[in-house]
Amino acid sequence: MWQQVNSALSQSAHRVLFKLASFLPGLVALLVAVLLLALVGAAVAAILRRILTSAKFDERVARNSTDALSDWSPSGSPTLLVARIAFWGCIALGVIIGISAFDASSNGSQISTFLLPYLTHSVGAIVLLIIGNLVARFLERSVLIGAVNARLQYARFLSLGIKWLVLVLTAAMVLDHLEIGGAIVELAFGILFGGIVLTLALAVGLGSRDIVSRSLEKNVERTDPIPGDPESPTPSEPLRHF
Amino acid sequence: MASTPTQTDAATQPTAAKTGSLLISLPPLANGALDAMLSNLATAFPTQTVLVATPATTPNGEAHDKPDNIHLVPYTPAATSTTSWVLTAADYLNNFKAAQEGHATACLLLGAECQSLSPEAIRALAAEVTGSSTDLAMAYYNLGPREGLVNSAILYPVTRALFCVRPRYPLAIDLGLSPRMAERLAIVAQKYISTNQNDALLWPAAEAASANYAIAEVDIGARTLPQPGATDLNTLLAQVTGSLFSEVDTKASFWQRARGTQPPHPFTISTIPAEGRDIAHMLDAFHLAYSNLHEIWALVLPPNSLLGLKRLSVTPADSFHMPDNLWARIVYDFALAYRLRTINRGHLLGALTPLYLAWVASHLVLTGSGTPPEKHIQDLASAFETDKPYLVSRWRWPDRFNP
Repeated sequence: MWQQVNSALSQSAHRVLFKLASFLPGLVALLVAVLLLALVGAAVAAILRRILTSAKFDERVARNSTDALSDWSPSGSPTLLVARIAFWGCIALGVIIGISAFDASSNGSQISTFLLPYLTHSVGAIVLLIIGNLVARFLERSVLIGAVNARLQYARFLSLGIKWLVLVLTAAMVLDHLEIGGAIVELAFGILFGGIVLTLALAVGLGSRDIVSRSLEKNVERTDPIPGDPESPTPSEPLRHF
Repeated sequence: MASTPTQTDAATQPTAAKTGSLLISLPPLANGALDAMLSNLATAFPTQTVLVATPATTPNGEAHDKPDNIHLVPYTPAATSTTSWVLTAADYLNNFKAAQEGHATACLLLGAECQSLSPEAIRALAAEVTGSSTDLAMAYYNLGPREGLVNSAILYPVTRALFCVRPRYPLAIDLGLSPRMAERLAIVAQKYISTNQNDALLWPAAEAASANYAIAEVDIGARTLPQPGATDLNTLLAQVTGSLFSEVDTKASFWQRARGTQPPHPFTISTIPAEGRDIAHMLDAFHLAYSNLHEIWALVLPPNSLLGLKRLSVTPADSFHMPDNLWARIVYDFALAYRLRTINRGHLLGALTPLYLAWVASHLVLTGSGTPPEKHIQDLASAFETDKPYLVSRWRWPDRFNP
């Protein structure tokens, strides 16, 4: 009995050590691949930055294109954007090569078959998340400034509503892309999105009630002035901004 | 007709504009307006041969009753513009092409509603570019104290301080151009048109200053100025200030070296009554913006300017006053942020609107309390000149700590 237990334990320990021994080189290969490609990426980014700076890429983009590229660039520099894309592209390539190397070094492992598609999905999800955040921030500011200039008292509330609508939509898209949550995410998204829209509609509708009534009153006053009324405003020379 | 030292009083020199052929570019005019304009031209130039370039869409010139020395030259526009209240890139290019075809030695480029210009005014503009070495003659309009406020608040002070030129209306729509000035403007216009920006605004005063061309200003008296269509203030302000900031960015190497202050314009003492109702809605807009846009302003403005705005936000309406140097620094910081793309340019220019309305409110309060409007505008322009080193410093070293 004791011998059988001892044998089973030693066999399992042997198997663990064997697995570890076959796993470690793969892990080292993965790390080396990522590290090497990171170094290559850094070098490529530095070279690109130097070339684009000497070619005055930022100025050319600013002169020849619309605002879009510069607005989405870090520190407003398209050169930096290109350099960073090159760097992170190399890192992603390193991860893919590393996983393939890991798969090859561990006999019979099918990790890459499962991991690589998920990795590409993850990259897609990260890109979605970044774009969603940028769009949310952009729309938040656009709505805030537009609403303030339109003199809407609930400008802040409106801009926050838009921001969270986009963020919720982004989160749902990311989870859907990663195939996490399944129907629960769709249901939760529907409830949240519908809730935010309903809240905004109610808030704007109720908040605008006074504005609409004031506007209607003004129209009535304008069309039906009371002659000789001291309370009625005296016509003044209009402002001309241009 | 009042004259500045560089102006020519046309009434005393009716035949000054007689050398070479003069081309006058007209905007599209209705039948009656074209007749009135031709009549004005006949009065302005009784003996001189004048070429009048009109777009081919204008009714046929032969049908009009005009003297022999006025020759209508219908042309097919090389570029078309949908904006009529201000001169655009398309107008400058069309003018140059017409001048080239007509071998003109000088040209007048007149804006919409030009039939309201007096013959003396037209003659004065022409005399300035034909009878002297002036390359650019710009119209000086006699506007009321509540008109042309964007020009008074931003365009004039910035142009005067940065480019060291005097024209009171940098976006004037009636210009006299020498051939080389017309060509220079057409080259700039062509750049915009090649990127399909036919409606882009050009800044003739800045172009002339950077080319070291002679500029003169001609008082043209009363004139009906066209107003923009139904587009709202935010869009128009963004369009005009965006174009100006872009010009400032393009000509940075010139204006950083340009030195000197301009003598103030002579002005007549007149005051306007305080208009509480007008000021109230502008102050409401400013207060609403202060509570909502503060974090966006904080990305653009230094702490000192934010402190000034904070003080302003608690100032009662009857004593509401935005100091001239505060407004100058706000405009300069927005110009810098436009260059650095600190935030999206559309957002940046949108965030300027409430601050501009605060300046207008302050201007109205000040002028309502007895200060002549023109004096305030000249003081403001001087403040812009005084603070120019601030902009130069921030332009060169934007990351340096700025209290």
